[in-house]
Amino acid sequence: MPDEKIELSRWERMSNIGWLRKTVIVVALAVIWQIYAVWLNNSLMFPTFVDTVKAFVGAFASGELLIKTGNSLKMLLIAYAIGATLSITLTILAISTRVGNDILEVLTAMLNPLAPVALLPLALLWFGLGAPSLVFVLIHAVLWALTLNIYNGFTGVSQTLRMVGRNYGLKGLKFAFLILIPAALPSILTGLKISWAFGWRTLIAAELVFGVSSRSGGIGWFIYEKKNQLDIDQVFAGLLTVIVIGILVENVLFKAIEKRTVLKWGMRH
Amino acid sequence: MPAGYTDADRLTAVGRFLSARNLTLQYKTGEYLVTAVSEASFGCEQNDRLVLLGPSGCGKSTILKAIGGFIKPSAGEIVLDGKRVEKPAPDRAVVFQEFDQLLPWKTALENVIFAIRNTRKVSKKEAEEEAVAQLYRVGLSGFEHRYPHELSGGQKQRVAIARCLALHAQVILMDEPFASLDALTRQQMQEELLGLWNEARFTLVFVTHSIDEALILGSRVVTLSPHPGTVIEEISVRHSHDLARKYPEYAALKERIESILFKDQLEYTI
Repeated sequence: MPDEKIELSRWERMSNIGWLRKTVIVVALAVIWQIYAVWLNNSLMFPTFVDTVKAFVGAFASGELLIKTGNSLKMLLIAYAIGATLSITLTILAISTRVGNDILEVLTAMLNPLAPVALLPLALLWFGLGAPSLVFVLIHAVLWALTLNIYNGFTGVSQTLRMVGRNYGLKGLKFAFLILIPAALPSILTGLKISWAFGWRTLIAAELVFGVSSRSGGIGWFIYEKKNQLDIDQVFAGLLTVIVIGILVENVLFKAIEKRTVLKWGMRH
Repeated sequence: MPAGYTDADRLTAVGRFLSARNLTLQYKTGEYLVTAVSEASFGCEQNDRLVLLGPSGCGKSTILKAIGGFIKPSAGEIVLDGKRVEKPAPDRAVVFQEFDQLLPWKTALENVIFAIRNTRKVSKKEAEEEAVAQLYRVGLSGFEHRYPHELSGGQKQRVAIARCLALHAQVILMDEPFASLDALTRQQMQEELLGLWNEARFTLVFVTHSIDEALILGSRVVTLSPHPGTVIEEISVRHSHDLARKYPEYAALKERIESILFKDQLEYTI
């Protein structure tokens, strides 16, 4: 009789590890980049990977990129916090009254397709050149995707779970916090993730357009400035920062939250 | 009274402990006002095992939800222990058919503790001790710290039953709790449920579309017909459950219920 379980070969086991496969892809891309850049030999147009990493490390070591990144993240976090508060208020209105529900549906249908950057001229007119304009545009970027997802999450909570909560006599805020919010957590996390990504893209684009928001500007401004100074490896370092932060937030921060919550609970696979 | 089933058990009197009187249940769709249950009257005594039996569309689950307080009657009333049922409350604990009735973000133990702590003022320690004891009763010792998605369908229903027992409810309402289980598990769960009932008597209202299940579990069977749901007949099943399936009366009673349920049809198959 054969054994019930036979261990796979080491190679086969390693090829089943997702992050390992993806790391191999990243390394391959870096190698291709390096080879192409060396072959092109035109650092003004396309610096090598090694130069970019050097510029990246240098810009962070000097504190310049660190401060700019901090500025950008601060803007986004402010807008994120305001957006989330508005979003929860809207959603609670929407699930508690039919009018609120209709208002939410009309607003999201109208405003969700409106690209945030398209609001920039208006924002400049209303709030002037500075942080408030940026935050205004970012709130718009964050709000609708988040609201839509939280709303879908709440309405998607099964009738059975709702009845279980009501069977215990739970009502109002207690019902929302003990039943609805945890039950809708997969959608809430999805909303937070999507709106973060929207916000992050919008932020960089908006900074490129009107640059100096606070005193020293953010990453978008850094990229724009370095391009004007023809420090192209710095431009690449700026872009690399945008990518790295995107990956960190998506694959480290949100992954960690998901592992501890919805994945552990089998609410998402 | 000999063991087995007596035929002269048409109950006209409404039970005192739990009773539905001229119960009419309606709901609205976008276009229609639909009557799910029309003028249903039935009842049971304390520690009865009342089974609502009928084909789909007979409103048996709707009646159960009304007893749970989740649906307001359009006419008539449900009275439990002298008090009219107005809204959901933990004195009527519900076990649903769906496996998603457990909170997926809580372990089996935490699910039971959550039920206790949200319905009674007890210390964390007391709640935990009781939850452990209830899980032991349903045979889930060793599975306390599993999340619902790590449990089988039968185990999930056991947790739901343990949770209901922990509520110390006046009535336990079960809405086809074993319908999604495989046949072997179902039979086992039916026997265990009767075991639990023998151990600590409680009033049970059980919804099913299976005549066999009704006869195994029920001490009183209310047969319902569909569109709209109406009570055809109330039958008392006097036997101890371990005799079920073995007595010739069982077949006779089953046949009688079949003839009640299918009287409009010339031929039927099950």
